[in-house]
Formats: sequence, C-alpha cells, structure tokens
Amino acid sequence: MYKELLKYLGLFILLVFLQLFLFNNIQLSGYINPYFYILFILLLPYETPGWLLLFLGFLTGLIIDTLMNTYGTHSSATLLMAFFRPYFLNFLTERDDIEKKGSPSMSQNGFNWFLRYTATLTVAHHLMLFLIESFTFINIGATLWRTVLSSLVTLSFIITSQFLFIRRK
Amino acid sequence: MNSIIRFIVKYHFILLFLALESFSLWLLANHTYYQRSKFENATRAITGYVYNKIDNGRQYLGLLAVNEQLAKENLDLRNQISKLTVNLERLQLSKSDTLSNSQYQFIPARVVNNSTNKRYNFLTINIGKNDGVEREMGVVTNNGIVGIVAGVSEHYSTVISLLNIDLKISAKLKQSHYFGSLYWDGRNYREVIFTEIPQHVNMNIGDTIVTSGFSAIFPPNINLATIKSFDTKSGNFYTVRAKLMNDFKQLYYVWVVKNLHEDESEKLESMGM
Repeated sequence: MYKELLKYLGLFILLVFLQLFLFNNIQLSGYINPYFYILFILLLPYETPGWLLLFLGFLTGLIIDTLMNTYGTHSSATLLMAFFRPYFLNFLTERDDIEKKGSPSMSQNGFNWFLRYTATLTVAHHLMLFLIESFTFINIGATLWRTVLSSLVTLSFIITSQFLFIRRK
Repeated sequence: MNSIIRFIVKYHFILLFLALESFSLWLLANHTYYQRSKFENATRAITGYVYNKIDNGRQYLGLLAVNEQLAKENLDLRNQISKLTVNLERLQLSKSDTLSNSQYQFIPARVVNNSTNKRYNFLTINIGKNDGVEREMGVVTNNGIVGIVAGVSEHYSTVISLLNIDLKISAKLKQSHYFGSLYWDGRNYREVIFTEIPQHVNMNIGDTIVTSGFSAIFPPNINLATIKSFDTKSGNFYTVRAKLMNDFKQLYYVWVVKNLHEDESEKLESMGM
C-alpha cells in the first residue's frame, strides 16, 4: 500500500515535470499542444474511491494551472475527466473481469482496450479544456479542430509511453 | 434529516463533482489578468527560479543563433551611428545639448518563460522591481513591441504578451500617419488585426505599421507589422490583417521601456480634464 502510494507520487511529479519542461515546448503550428499529464488520472488504480478520484483530478489540474498561470482551466477539465472515468471503465470492461485489481494500463488490458479508454477520456479532457480556454462558442470550429489535433498528439505520446513501459518490464 | 443524509451519501460522487467544478469555474471567472498577476507573485518566486535554471541550459543551445542576431544588430547600429554622426555634426553648429532631452530609457532583459499557443499569453522576464521595472511599462525588441508589464516581484516580472486577446495598442500607418488600434484575434501567432482606419485612406499590401506614441507606454515609430490583406467588412473602416515582424516563439532578449516624461505628460493631461 505504502509502496503503491510512493509509486503514484513519483509518477505524479515526473508527469508534471515532463509537462512543464518538455510537452509545453511542443507546439505544432501554434494550435497543437499535447497535455501528457492526464496519464496520471488514466493510470490510477481501479479501486480508487470516487471522492479520491475527483479530488486527485481537481488537484492535478490545479497544480498545472498554478504553474502555467491558467486559473481554473486545467482543474475543471481534469476534474471532468476524472468524473467520466468510472463510467467509461464500466462501459469498456467485460462483466467477468469487473473484479480487476491494479491500474488500467496497456500491459494489463491490451492495445485495443487501452486505445479506446484513453481516446475517449483524452477527447473529453481536451474538449473541455479548449472550450473553457476560449470561453465562447463563437469560434467553435477552431476549438473543435484544436481538440481533435491536440487529442491525436496527446494520444500518440501516451500510447508510445505505454510501449516503452512494457518493454522495460 | 435522515433522507438528506441518505441523498448526500447516495449521490456524493456527482455532488462532489459539481462542487469542485463550480469552484474551478469560479477561479476562472473571478480572476482578471491583473488580479492573477498579483496572485502570481506568490508562486513566481519559485517558478521563476526553476524556469530560469532550465533556460540557462537552453541558452547554450541557442548561442549560435543569438550570436548571429547580435552581429546583425551591431551592424544595423553601426550604420545608424555613421548616419547620425553626420547629422550630429550638422546640428552641433546650432544646438549644444542633445542627450539630456532623451525621453525613453531602455532596460535590457531576458525572456525566461513564454507561450504563444493560448488565447491569453504571458511572458516572464528576468528583471523586476530591483532593476527599476514597474507595472505598465512597455516591453519591446528591435522588431516591434512584445507587451506590457503586468506584475513585478523583486527579480522577475510578468508581461502581458501582445498575443493576448485582452491587449489593444495604439498604432499608425508609417506613411500616412493615420492611427488605429492593433490587437490579436487569438488565431495565428504571426498575425494581428489593425482596425479603425477610415476607408478613404490609401493603403498597399506590404505597408508598415508602427507604434503611434500616443500612450505613454511605447515610444513612437517602432516597427510592428506589415500589411498582409485588408477588407471593408465592418462598415466604414478597414479591417487589416498584418504580419508581425517579431517571431514571438524566438523572443529572447527584450528591452523594458522606461518613459522619463511619463509623470509630466500625465499630470498635464489630467490638469486639462
């Protein structure tokens, strides 16, 4: 239990660091910006209680917000993603392996499952993020375009990271 | 009472979500960028330090490009000097004092954090209160303006980037001196919008837009952008798309502008009111 806690704390610090100093510097054509840190919410264990999940989602966003001077944007998007997570997990998981333990990673659930799981939550997060950031429905076309492109880039980084992780095991 | 508790327990997940989400939106709505910059003073001491360390590493990688840029700047300045010495000699015949009239003082600074991909972009520069920076001073480079100082701490300042849809600055056409306002529409980081130019004014694609010098923040006649296209969609005025001369992704060395006459001109303007 204690060891798990340390592992997730380490993952959290690593992801925030990578986001600030690596992924924030990747800006393709001014529109596309990957938000890799959401991997933290994706990888939280199945048995995380709902309230903790929400708090962690909110806190992750809030810390990113504080460091990037974007008050409220990331916290609301990451919170929304944490809120949707249990529903998507229920929807994607077969009835007989509902009793799963550990973290919903690619090594445990296979490529197809993980791709669907990550894609839905990433799009939910990015859509909320870009909508809130523009704070208007006027340029909805541009906002949707940003969502799609950035989601694709984030998704490819997350999947790549999972491949690296499996190989190391 | 019991049923309320049962309701809360049953729906605690959704209720907690709604509570936290409203708090986030409150954070978002209740912080204008000036308030934000005040709140940032607390975190900037830490983030500024870390960004500075990271930037020192990045600086080495960019040395070649910076050297070239400086060499080019040197050349430009030397050309200017040779031109000005001729003028100076001519002027010295009639005037004795030229230097003490200088209105603007420039303080060099380095960008340690910057963004171009949001709608409200900010920069952090590595000088602050201790170096004489104050709020609402302008920040410029050789190729145009960068933004306006929003908040200062001892060693760092945050700057509202020109690439921030809240910022509007006064600018004019270099040739005809018609003035209007220039702002960013949040789309392409290389392009800005220039409006309020009446339709009878002659313009050509490629014309230069410069600062007007009407506000006390920026000196006049700093090159800003060149006209890329214009149309008359919005009634009596031209809407001009202009290409910025500055590449905001490459900003490195900037100048903070101190207006030595600011108090004087402001006092005069408020007296006339």
